[in-house]
Amino acid sequence: MTTAIEVRNLSYRYPDGREALRGLNFSIGEDECVGLIGPNGAGKSTLLLHLNGILPEVPGDGAVRVFGQTDLAGMRRDVGLLFQDPDDQLFCPTVFEDVAFGPQQLGLPETIVTEALTRVGLSGFEKRSPHHLSHGEKRRVCLAGVLACQPRILVLDEPTSGLDPRGRREFKTLLRQIRATKLIATHDLDLVAEFCSRVLVLDRGEMVADGLSGEVLNDMPLMLAHGLERPHTLQHRHPH
Amino acid sequence: MRHDFLDRYSRQDSPLHRVSAEAKLACAFGIVALTVAVPVTAVPYFAGLACALVAVTLVARIPFGYLGRRLLWMEPFVLGVGVLTLLQPEGWKVFLGIVVKSTLSLVTMVLLANTTPFAEILRVLRRVRVPGLLVTTLALMYRYLFVLVDEGERMHRARAARTFDQRRWHGWTTLATVVGQLFVRSTERAERIYAAMLARGWK
Repeated sequence: MTTAIEVRNLSYRYPDGREALRGLNFSIGEDECVGLIGPNGAGKSTLLLHLNGILPEVPGDGAVRVFGQTDLAGMRRDVGLLFQDPDDQLFCPTVFEDVAFGPQQLGLPETIVTEALTRVGLSGFEKRSPHHLSHGEKRRVCLAGVLACQPRILVLDEPTSGLDPRGRREFKTLLRQIRATKLIATHDLDLVAEFCSRVLVLDRGEMVADGLSGEVLNDMPLMLAHGLERPHTLQHRHPH
Repeated sequence: MRHDFLDRYSRQDSPLHRVSAEAKLACAFGIVALTVAVPVTAVPYFAGLACALVAVTLVARIPFGYLGRRLLWMEPFVLGVGVLTLLQPEGWKVFLGIVVKSTLSLVTMVLLANTTPFAEILRVLRRVRVPGLLVTTLALMYRYLFVLVDEGERMHRARAARTFDQRRWHGWTTLATVVGQLFVRSTERAERIYAAMLARGWK
Protein backbone atom coordinates (compact mmCIF):
# COMPACT_ATOMS: atom_id res chain seq x y z
CA MET A 1 0.00 0.00 0.00
CA THR A 2 1.27 3.48 -0.85
CA THR A 3 1.83 5.74 2.15
CA ALA A 4 -0.38 8.82 1.89
CA ILE A 5 0.63 10.64 5.07
CA GLU A 6 3.78 10.02 7.01
CA VAL A 7 4.42 11.83 10.29
CA ARG A 8 7.80 11.38 11.95
CA ASN A 9 8.65 12.85 15.33
CA LEU A 10 6.29 15.81 15.01
CA SER A 11 6.32 18.24 17.91
CA TYR A 12 4.82 21.70 18.08
CA ARG A 13 4.73 24.51 20.60
CA TYR A 14 2.28 27.37 20.37
CA PRO A 15 3.89 30.84 20.18
CA ASP A 16 3.00 31.27 23.87
CA GLY A 17 5.20 28.28 24.75
CA ARG A 18 2.42 25.78 25.44
CA GLU A 19 3.21 22.32 24.13
CA ALA A 20 0.54 21.18 21.66
CA LEU A 21 2.06 18.11 19.99
CA ARG A 22 4.76 15.90 21.44
CA GLY A 23 6.77 13.55 19.26
CA LEU A 24 3.98 12.12 17.08
CA ASN A 25 4.72 9.17 14.81
CA PHE A 26 2.24 7.53 12.48
CA SER A 27 1.50 6.90 8.85
CA ILE A 28 -1.70 6.54 6.90
CA GLY A 29 -1.95 4.39 3.80
CA GLU A 30 -3.69 5.38 0.59
CA ASP A 31 -7.49 4.80 0.66
CA GLU A 32 -7.50 4.22 4.41
CA CYS A 33 -10.22 5.88 6.49
CA VAL A 34 -8.82 6.81 9.88
CA GLY A 35 -10.54 8.38 12.87
CA LEU A 36 -8.72 10.86 15.10
CA ILE A 37 -10.27 11.09 18.54
CA GLY A 38 -9.37 12.58 21.89
CA PRO A 39 -10.69 15.01 24.49
CA ASN A 40 -11.06 18.76 23.94
CA GLY A 41 -7.70 20.46 23.69
CA ALA A 42 -5.87 17.23 22.83
CA GLY A 43 -4.28 18.85 19.79
CA LYS A 44 -6.46 17.30 17.08
CA SER A 45 -7.04 20.51 15.12
CA THR A 46 -3.39 21.54 15.54
CA LEU A 47 -2.31 18.22 14.08
CA LEU A 48 -4.68 18.62 11.11
CA LEU A 49 -3.24 22.07 10.36
CA HIS A 50 0.21 20.45 10.10
CA LEU A 51 -0.98 17.98 7.48
CA ASN A 52 -1.78 20.90 5.19
CA GLY A 53 1.37 22.85 5.96
CA ILE A 54 -0.45 25.72 7.66
CA LEU A 55 1.51 24.99 10.82
CA PRO A 56 4.35 25.24 11.74
CA GLU A 57 4.66 28.95 11.00
CA VAL A 58 8.17 28.37 9.63
CA PRO A 59 7.82 25.40 7.26
CA GLY A 60 10.43 22.96 6.19
CA ASP A 61 11.34 20.65 9.07
CA GLY A 62 10.04 17.71 7.04
CA ALA A 63 8.21 16.03 9.91
CA VAL A 64 5.14 15.62 7.71
CA ARG A 65 5.28 14.00 4.30
CA VAL A 66 2.30 13.77 1.96
CA PHE A 67 2.86 11.13 -0.71
CA GLY A 68 6.54 11.65 0.02
CA GLN A 69 6.42 15.41 -0.60
CA THR A 70 7.39 18.08 1.90
CA ASP A 71 6.83 21.18 -0.26
CA LEU A 72 3.86 23.38 0.65
CA ALA A 73 2.31 23.56 -2.82
CA GLY A 74 2.30 19.77 -3.18
CA MET A 75 0.91 19.19 0.31
CA ARG A 76 -1.88 21.72 -0.15
CA ARG A 77 -2.85 20.29 -3.51
CA ASP A 78 -3.08 16.73 -2.24
CA VAL A 79 -4.66 17.43 1.14
CA GLY A 80 -8.17 18.92 1.26
CA LEU A 81 -8.91 20.33 4.69
CA LEU A 82 -12.48 20.83 5.91
CA PHE A 83 -12.53 23.31 8.79
CA GLN A 84 -14.62 22.99 11.91
CA ASP A 85 -16.48 26.30 11.57
CA PRO A 86 -18.02 26.72 8.09
CA ASP A 87 -18.02 30.49 8.60
CA ASP A 88 -14.23 30.42 8.67
CA GLN A 89 -14.05 28.48 5.46
CA LEU A 90 -16.71 30.27 3.41
CA PHE A 91 -15.10 33.64 2.89
CA CYS A 92 -16.44 34.65 -0.53
CA PRO A 93 -19.59 36.70 -1.21
CA THR A 94 -21.31 33.94 -3.20
CA VAL A 95 -21.39 30.15 -3.10
CA PHE A 96 -20.04 29.92 -6.65
CA GLU A 97 -17.03 32.14 -5.96
CA ASP A 98 -16.28 30.20 -2.82
CA VAL A 99 -16.28 26.81 -4.47
CA ALA A 100 -14.30 28.29 -7.38
CA PHE A 101 -11.63 29.73 -5.06
CA GLY A 102 -9.47 26.62 -4.95
CA PRO A 103 -9.85 25.55 -8.61
CA GLN A 104 -8.91 29.08 -9.76
CA GLN A 105 -5.59 28.91 -7.89
CA LEU A 106 -4.94 25.41 -9.22
CA GLY A 107 -5.86 26.34 -12.78
CA LEU A 108 -8.78 23.90 -12.98
CA PRO A 109 -11.73 24.64 -15.28
CA GLU A 110 -14.80 26.39 -13.85
CA THR A 111 -17.12 23.54 -14.87
CA ILE A 112 -15.72 21.71 -11.87
CA VAL A 113 -17.63 24.12 -9.60
CA THR A 114 -21.06 23.11 -10.86
CA GLU A 115 -19.98 19.49 -10.73
CA ALA A 116 -18.86 19.78 -7.11
CA LEU A 117 -22.10 21.53 -6.13
CA THR A 118 -24.16 18.82 -7.80
CA ARG A 119 -22.16 16.22 -5.95
CA VAL A 120 -23.11 17.69 -2.59
CA GLY A 121 -26.71 18.15 -3.71
CA LEU A 122 -26.64 21.95 -3.94
CA SER A 123 -26.91 22.68 -7.64
CA GLY A 124 -28.74 25.96 -8.15
CA PHE A 125 -27.13 27.52 -5.06
CA GLU A 126 -24.41 29.26 -7.10
CA LYS A 127 -25.62 32.81 -6.57
CA ARG A 128 -26.61 32.50 -2.90
CA SER A 129 -24.60 34.29 -0.21
CA PRO A 130 -23.08 32.06 2.47
CA HIS A 131 -24.76 34.01 5.28
CA HIS A 132 -28.20 33.09 3.95
CA LEU A 133 -27.55 29.34 4.20
CA SER A 134 -28.36 26.92 7.01
CA HIS A 135 -25.54 25.31 8.94
CA GLY A 136 -25.94 22.01 7.08
CA GLU A 137 -25.91 23.77 3.71
CA LYS A 138 -22.82 25.74 4.70
CA ARG A 139 -21.06 22.51 5.63
CA ARG A 140 -21.90 21.02 2.24
CA VAL A 141 -20.69 24.12 0.39
CA CYS A 142 -17.42 23.82 2.34
CA LEU A 143 -17.15 20.20 1.25
CA ALA A 144 -17.85 21.17 -2.36
CA GLY A 145 -15.09 23.79 -2.12
CA VAL A 146 -12.66 21.16 -0.92
CA LEU A 147 -13.77 18.48 -3.42
CA ALA A 148 -13.43 20.97 -6.29
CA CYS A 149 -9.67 21.04 -5.64
CA GLN A 150 -9.61 17.27 -6.29
CA PRO A 151 -7.52 16.32 -3.26
CA ARG A 152 -6.21 12.76 -2.85
CA ILE A 153 -6.54 13.01 0.91
CA LEU A 154 -9.57 14.43 2.72
CA VAL A 155 -8.94 15.76 6.20
CA LEU A 156 -12.09 16.59 8.14
CA ASP A 157 -12.25 18.55 11.40
CA GLU A 158 -15.46 17.80 13.32
CA PRO A 159 -17.54 17.30 10.16
CA THR A 160 -20.79 16.45 11.97
CA SER A 161 -20.71 18.99 14.81
CA GLY A 162 -23.71 21.31 14.90
CA LEU A 163 -25.69 19.32 12.33
CA ASP A 164 -29.22 18.10 12.98
CA PRO A 165 -29.86 14.34 12.52
CA ARG A 166 -30.96 14.83 8.93
CA GLY A 167 -27.93 16.98 8.14
CA ARG A 168 -25.70 14.40 9.79
CA ARG A 169 -27.29 11.57 7.80
CA GLU A 170 -26.96 13.45 4.52
CA PHE A 171 -23.36 14.30 5.29
CA LYS A 172 -22.56 10.67 6.00
CA THR A 173 -24.12 9.60 2.71
CA LEU A 174 -21.93 12.13 0.91
CA LEU A 175 -18.84 11.02 2.76
CA ARG A 176 -19.46 7.42 1.82
CA GLN A 177 -19.50 8.34 -1.88
CA ILE A 178 -16.15 10.10 -1.84
CA ARG A 179 -13.20 8.01 -2.94
CA ALA A 180 -10.15 9.36 -1.15
CA THR A 181 -7.91 8.72 1.80
CA LYS A 182 -9.77 10.12 4.79
CA LEU A 183 -8.74 11.34 8.21
CA ILE A 184 -11.65 12.38 10.41
CA ALA A 185 -11.10 14.24 13.69
CA THR A 186 -14.28 14.09 15.73
CA HIS A 187 -16.11 13.55 19.01
CA ASP A 188 -18.80 11.67 17.10
CA LEU A 189 -17.64 8.18 18.07
CA ASP A 190 -20.52 6.48 16.28
CA LEU A 191 -19.30 8.09 13.08
CA VAL A 192 -15.82 6.67 13.72
CA ALA A 193 -17.26 3.22 14.47
CA GLU A 194 -19.23 3.34 11.25
CA PHE A 195 -16.63 4.75 8.87
CA CYS A 196 -13.13 4.14 10.13
CA SER A 197 -11.27 0.87 10.20
CA ARG A 198 -8.48 2.43 12.22
CA VAL A 199 -8.42 4.93 15.08
CA LEU A 200 -5.78 7.27 16.49
CA VAL A 201 -6.28 8.51 20.05
CA LEU A 202 -4.61 11.80 20.92
CA ASP A 203 -4.44 13.23 24.44
CA ARG A 204 -2.43 16.26 25.60
CA GLY A 205 -0.46 16.21 22.38
CA GLU A 206 0.57 12.59 22.67
CA MET A 207 -0.56 9.60 20.64
CA VAL A 208 -1.91 7.23 23.27
CA ALA A 209 -3.39 4.60 20.96
CA ASP A 210 -3.26 3.61 17.31
CA GLY A 211 -5.15 0.50 16.28
CA LEU A 212 -8.14 -1.15 14.72
CA SER A 213 -11.29 0.77 15.60
CA GLY A 214 -13.09 -2.37 16.79
CA GLU A 215 -10.39 -2.91 19.41
CA VAL A 216 -9.67 0.68 20.45
CA LEU A 217 -13.30 1.80 20.71
CA ASN A 218 -14.18 -1.25 22.79
CA ASP A 219 -11.32 -0.70 25.23
CA MET A 220 -13.37 0.87 28.05
CA PRO A 221 -10.46 1.72 30.43
CA LEU A 222 -8.54 3.42 27.62
CA MET A 223 -11.56 5.34 26.38
CA LEU A 224 -12.57 6.58 29.84
CA ALA A 225 -9.01 7.53 30.74
CA HIS A 226 -8.93 9.93 27.82
CA GLY A 227 -12.29 11.63 28.17
CA LEU A 228 -14.02 9.31 25.70
CA GLU A 229 -16.51 6.45 25.93
CA ARG A 230 -17.57 3.37 24.04
CA PRO A 231 -19.74 4.49 21.15
CA HIS A 232 -23.43 3.83 21.51
CA THR A 233 -23.54 1.63 18.41
CA LEU A 234 -20.99 -0.76 19.93
CA GLN A 235 -22.77 -0.98 23.29
CA HIS A 236 -25.84 -2.73 21.95
CA ARG A 237 -25.59 -5.91 20.00
CA HIS A 238 -29.05 -5.63 18.47
CA PRO A 239 -29.35 -3.69 15.24
CA HIS A 240 -31.13 -0.33 15.51
CA MET B 1 -31.19 36.25 12.79
CA ARG B 2 -31.57 39.21 10.45
CA HIS B 3 -28.67 39.04 8.05
CA ASP B 4 -29.91 41.60 5.62
CA PHE B 5 -30.14 45.02 7.23
CA LEU B 6 -27.72 46.44 4.65
CA ASP B 7 -29.40 45.27 1.46
CA ARG B 8 -32.70 43.67 2.39
CA TYR B 9 -34.34 44.44 -0.96
CA SER B 10 -31.40 43.78 -3.29
CA ARG B 11 -32.64 40.35 -4.32
CA GLN B 12 -36.23 41.20 -5.20
CA ASP B 13 -37.50 41.78 -8.70
CA SER B 14 -38.46 45.11 -10.32
CA PRO B 15 -37.63 46.91 -13.58
CA LEU B 16 -34.77 48.60 -11.73
CA HIS B 17 -33.41 45.37 -10.31
CA ARG B 18 -33.18 44.05 -13.84
CA VAL B 19 -31.05 46.95 -15.13
CA SER B 20 -27.41 45.90 -15.55
CA ALA B 21 -25.19 46.44 -12.53
CA GLU B 22 -22.70 48.38 -14.68
CA ALA B 23 -25.33 50.99 -15.59
CA LYS B 24 -26.57 51.35 -12.03
CA LEU B 25 -23.09 51.69 -10.60
CA ALA B 26 -22.07 54.29 -13.20
CA CYS B 27 -25.29 56.20 -12.58
CA ALA B 28 -24.91 56.17 -8.80
CA PHE B 29 -21.30 57.34 -8.88
CA GLY B 30 -22.20 59.99 -11.48
CA ILE B 31 -24.98 61.33 -9.27
CA VAL B 32 -22.75 61.46 -6.19
CA ALA B 33 -19.94 63.23 -8.10
CA LEU B 34 -22.37 65.77 -9.56
CA THR B 35 -24.07 66.37 -6.22
CA VAL B 36 -20.75 67.09 -4.58
CA ALA B 37 -19.66 69.38 -7.44
CA VAL B 38 -22.71 71.66 -7.94
CA PRO B 39 -22.85 74.88 -5.89
CA VAL B 40 -25.08 74.92 -2.81
CA THR B 41 -27.32 77.47 -4.51
CA ALA B 42 -28.45 75.03 -7.22
CA VAL B 43 -31.76 74.42 -5.48
CA PRO B 44 -33.59 73.17 -8.61
CA TYR B 45 -30.95 70.46 -9.07
CA PHE B 46 -31.38 69.23 -5.49
CA ALA B 47 -35.17 69.31 -5.73
CA GLY B 48 -35.07 67.45 -9.04
CA LEU B 49 -32.70 64.81 -7.68
CA ALA B 50 -34.85 64.33 -4.57
CA CYS B 51 -37.91 63.74 -6.78
CA ALA B 52 -35.96 61.31 -8.97
CA LEU B 53 -34.80 59.36 -5.92
CA VAL B 54 -38.37 59.16 -4.60
CA ALA B 55 -39.43 57.80 -7.99
CA VAL B 56 -36.61 55.21 -7.94
CA THR B 57 -37.67 54.13 -4.45
CA LEU B 58 -41.25 53.65 -5.62
CA VAL B 59 -40.31 51.75 -8.78
CA ALA B 60 -37.88 49.50 -6.91
CA ARG B 61 -40.57 48.86 -4.26
CA ILE B 62 -38.31 49.78 -1.36
CA PRO B 63 -40.32 50.89 1.69
CA PHE B 64 -39.71 54.50 2.78
CA GLY B 65 -39.60 53.40 6.41
CA TYR B 66 -36.62 51.17 5.68
CA LEU B 67 -34.87 53.96 3.76
CA GLY B 68 -35.46 56.32 6.70
CA ARG B 69 -34.03 53.87 9.22
CA ARG B 70 -30.93 53.30 7.12
CA LEU B 71 -30.45 57.10 6.96
CA LEU B 72 -30.87 57.43 10.72
CA TRP B 73 -27.89 55.11 11.12
CA MET B 74 -25.69 57.35 9.02
CA GLU B 75 -26.97 60.89 9.67
CA PRO B 76 -25.14 61.20 13.02
CA PHE B 77 -21.84 61.16 11.14
CA VAL B 78 -23.09 63.81 8.72
CA LEU B 79 -24.41 66.00 11.52
CA GLY B 80 -21.22 65.45 13.51
CA VAL B 81 -19.13 66.91 10.72
CA GLY B 82 -21.73 69.55 9.79
CA VAL B 83 -22.07 70.96 13.29
CA LEU B 84 -18.50 72.29 13.19
CA THR B 85 -19.39 74.62 10.30
CA LEU B 86 -21.99 76.34 12.47
CA LEU B 87 -19.16 77.96 14.43
CA GLN B 88 -18.27 80.32 11.58
CA PRO B 89 -20.29 83.39 10.48
CA GLU B 90 -23.05 82.49 7.98
CA GLY B 91 -22.17 78.92 8.85
CA TRP B 92 -25.75 77.70 8.63
CA LYS B 93 -25.63 77.95 4.82
CA VAL B 94 -22.59 75.67 4.66
CA PHE B 95 -24.25 73.40 7.21
CA LEU B 96 -27.43 73.15 5.15
CA GLY B 97 -25.36 72.45 2.04
CA ILE B 98 -23.46 69.65 3.73
CA VAL B 99 -26.59 68.05 5.11
CA VAL B 100 -28.53 68.20 1.83
CA LYS B 101 -25.62 66.98 -0.32
CA SER B 102 -24.67 64.16 2.04
CA THR B 103 -28.24 63.00 2.53
CA LEU B 104 -28.92 62.84 -1.20
CA SER B 105 -25.65 60.97 -1.78
CA LEU B 106 -26.43 58.53 1.03
CA VAL B 107 -29.92 57.86 -0.33
CA THR B 108 -28.39 57.20 -3.76
CA MET B 109 -25.96 54.67 -2.30
CA VAL B 110 -28.61 52.96 -0.15
CA LEU B 111 -30.78 52.64 -3.25
CA LEU B 112 -27.85 51.22 -5.22
CA ALA B 113 -27.17 48.67 -2.48
CA ASN B 114 -30.82 47.68 -2.42
CA THR B 115 -31.30 47.28 -6.16
CA THR B 116 -28.02 45.47 -6.91
CA PRO B 117 -26.72 42.34 -5.15
CA PHE B 118 -23.35 43.08 -3.56
CA ALA B 119 -21.63 40.29 -5.48
CA GLU B 120 -22.68 42.09 -8.70
CA ILE B 121 -21.24 45.38 -7.47
CA LEU B 122 -17.95 43.60 -6.72
CA ARG B 123 -17.95 42.02 -10.17
CA VAL B 124 -18.29 45.45 -11.80
CA LEU B 125 -15.56 46.91 -9.57
CA ARG B 126 -13.26 44.09 -10.66
CA ARG B 127 -14.18 44.67 -14.28
CA VAL B 128 -13.30 48.37 -14.17
CA ARG B 129 -9.95 47.39 -12.66
CA VAL B 130 -10.34 48.59 -9.11
CA PRO B 131 -7.23 47.12 -7.39
CA GLY B 132 -7.84 43.45 -6.53
CA LEU B 133 -6.74 43.84 -2.93
CA LEU B 134 -9.39 46.52 -2.36
CA VAL B 135 -12.16 44.40 -3.93
CA THR B 136 -11.09 41.37 -1.89
CA THR B 137 -11.13 43.48 1.27
CA LEU B 138 -14.64 44.72 0.44
CA ALA B 139 -15.80 41.17 -0.27
CA LEU B 140 -14.43 39.88 3.04
CA MET B 141 -15.92 42.85 4.88
CA TYR B 142 -19.35 42.17 3.45
CA ARG B 143 -19.05 38.45 4.19
CA TYR B 144 -17.98 38.80 7.81
CA LEU B 145 -19.96 41.85 8.85
CA PHE B 146 -22.96 39.61 9.44
CA VAL B 147 -20.94 36.96 11.25
CA LEU B 148 -19.56 39.71 13.48
CA VAL B 149 -22.98 41.20 14.19
CA ASP B 150 -24.27 37.72 15.06
CA GLU B 151 -21.39 37.03 17.35
CA GLY B 152 -21.82 40.40 19.07
CA GLU B 153 -25.53 39.78 19.54
CA ARG B 154 -24.92 36.34 21.02
CA MET B 155 -22.32 37.67 23.42
CA HIS B 156 -24.51 40.56 24.43
CA ARG B 157 -27.42 38.23 25.06
CA ALA B 158 -25.27 35.83 27.08
CA ARG B 159 -24.15 38.75 29.24
CA ALA B 160 -27.65 40.10 29.58
CA ALA B 161 -28.87 36.71 30.74
CA ARG B 162 -26.56 36.97 33.74
CA THR B 163 -26.89 40.68 34.37
CA PHE B 164 -28.89 41.37 37.51
CA ASP B 165 -27.81 44.94 38.08
CA GLN B 166 -30.00 47.17 35.94
CA ARG B 167 -28.18 50.47 36.53
CA ARG B 168 -27.21 52.40 33.41
CA TRP B 169 -23.49 52.55 34.24
CA HIS B 170 -23.29 48.79 34.51
CA GLY B 171 -24.76 48.46 31.03
CA TRP B 172 -22.01 50.64 29.58
CA THR B 173 -19.18 48.72 31.20
CA THR B 174 -20.75 45.49 29.96
CA LEU B 175 -20.93 46.88 26.45
CA ALA B 176 -17.26 47.85 26.65
CA THR B 177 -16.32 44.30 27.61
CA VAL B 178 -18.40 42.86 24.77
CA VAL B 179 -16.75 45.17 22.23
CA GLY B 180 -13.30 44.26 23.57
CA GLN B 181 -14.05 40.54 23.44
CA LEU B 182 -15.46 40.91 19.96
CA PHE B 183 -12.20 42.47 18.84
CA VAL B 184 -10.16 39.59 20.28
CA ARG B 185 -12.47 37.00 18.74
CA SER B 186 -12.34 38.76 15.38
CA THR B 187 -8.55 38.66 15.25
CA GLU B 188 -8.67 34.97 16.08
CA ARG B 189 -11.27 34.39 13.39
CA ALA B 190 -9.18 36.36 10.92
CA GLU B 191 -6.32 33.95 11.59
CA ARG B 192 -8.58 30.94 11.00
CA ILE B 193 -9.95 32.44 7.78
CA TYR B 194 -6.42 33.08 6.55
CA ALA B 195 -5.57 29.44 7.36
CA ALA B 196 -8.63 28.34 5.36
CA MET B 197 -7.50 30.50 2.44
CA LEU B 198 -4.00 29.01 2.59
CA ALA B 199 -5.45 25.51 2.75
CA ARG B 200 -7.10 26.09 -0.60
CA GLY B 201 -4.00 27.37 -2.30
CA TRP B 202 -4.06 31.15 -1.67
CA LYS B 203 -0.68 32.72 -2.47
